[in-house]
Amino acid sequence: MSAFTEKLLARAMAFAALFVLFASDIALAQGKGHLEVTTIVQKEILVENEDGDSEKQLVVAETVIPGERVVYTIVFENVGDAAAENVVITNPISESLTYVAGSASNDSMKVEFSVDDGKTFGLASELRMVDNGIERPATTNDYTHVRWVMQNELEVGAKGSASFAAVLQ
Amino acid sequence: MRASIIACALLGYSAVAGAAGTPVGTVIENTASVTFDLAGAPTTVLTNTTSLTVVERIDVVVTLLSPQILVAASDTSRALLFRVSNTGNGTEVYTLTIDNILGSDDFDPIAAVPAIYFDTDASGDFNVGDQPYTPGVNDPNLAADASIDVFLVNDIPAAVVSGNIGRSQLTATSATGTGVPGTLFAGQGDGNVDAVIGSTGGEALEFGEYLVADVQINAVKAQAVADPFGGNEPVPGATITYTITVDVVGAGTATASVFNDLIPTFTTYVPNSLTLNAASLTDALGDDAGEFDTSVVPTIVVRLGDLTAAGGTQTVVFQVTID
Repeated sequence: MSAFTEKLLARAMAFAALFVLFASDIALAQGKGHLEVTTIVQKEILVENEDGDSEKQLVVAETVIPGERVVYTIVFENVGDAAAENVVITNPISESLTYVAGSASNDSMKVEFSVDDGKTFGLASELRMVDNGIERPATTNDYTHVRWVMQNELEVGAKGSASFAAVLQ
Repeated sequence: MRASIIACALLGYSAVAGAAGTPVGTVIENTASVTFDLAGAPTTVLTNTTSLTVVERIDVVVTLLSPQILVAASDTSRALLFRVSNTGNGTEVYTLTIDNILGSDDFDPIAAVPAIYFDTDASGDFNVGDQPYTPGVNDPNLAADASIDVFLVNDIPAAVVSGNIGRSQLTATSATGTGVPGTLFAGQGDGNVDAVIGSTGGEALEFGEYLVADVQINAVKAQAVADPFGGNEPVPGATITYTITVDVVGAGTATASVFNDLIPTFTTYVPNSLTLNAASLTDALGDDAGEFDTSVVPTIVVRLGDLTAAGGTQTVVFQVTID
């Protein structure tokens, strides 16, 4: 084996090692503590089924155009050996996105929003904004964050999800 | 106390969304955070980060800015003004075409050569400063939310009659492509991101109208009476001042227009009282545009010449006394 090939091989192995390290970092971040949480973003596309009719299908989104609707979903699971209490899931809403009213509704969690960059949260009906000194009810356009407050504790092995839809401005 | 860490949505770069929407290339990253207590100990975990790239949406809108244009048979270079607007979120080149063979009208305007001009001097009127459009050479290249004003220039056929309508249509077509909304042009957006056809299909068209309206002359006569006693009674010896205003509406020219008015019976013309647009005319025949002609019956004659709507109101004034 020539010195050059040796060098190349060593470099390739170093790169592979780096990749493994990177991959395990992600695993660590997602599995830290005793909850495993992941998020995905999807959008509806029309696909042709076997009968030639078009059907709506949710697919993982990587690109988006103005006016298009995307759905964020956060999946969680208690992988630890003790129940988790006071579980709160918080997701920012990019200023390029407008929250779709009602889309965050969840059977087992209370849904609250923030209009002040996450400093305070409240129910949609309670939030107020002040424009030029005049107070008005907040609109979906004002939301900076959405959060879900779990009403019960999350038992060992229990899993669930929270999602909301937003439209790109 | 429970720790509550909130991840912020990160934008790849600062982006100000206009009417056309979030700019092409904007990256929307999203990380959710989950806080909870485990045996009283507060814990926060972050999810993975998702990333959405805003790609180009191709859209275009054409609007008509001109009202219905009044024209006459054989008119030349009559212009209709349109606005082409890029309602997509990226920079887009558009090609322009004119179509005069349309249904639901009475005649086909004749496209001038060239027929499409830009309103280069932004005057809203078609004039010498405006540059012609040459396909493939100066196709409008519009940033998101930008627009450009365009004229369609046509001649009017000779064989039209008053009341006929002719339509002329401008089409703006995205150079990247057209199609049903959602059609993908991979890698053909700004910065080589994907481009997707928006709700307008990447093509827009709008027509304007020419209405053939022959020239019409409207004359209105008003009178004012002044009696010898300082009042307004039409008694013998009173003076009547007649003011006739002549207006032209419609397109074209009323050539060699002549105004005639008989002096009413039981009245006598006041010599040298005739004026046109406040300028005195002599009573003598042929020395100027007007005269008091007594050869058959006493008549006021004023040759108004070629009249157009643009020429404005002509005002003829003369006086008579009551016998």
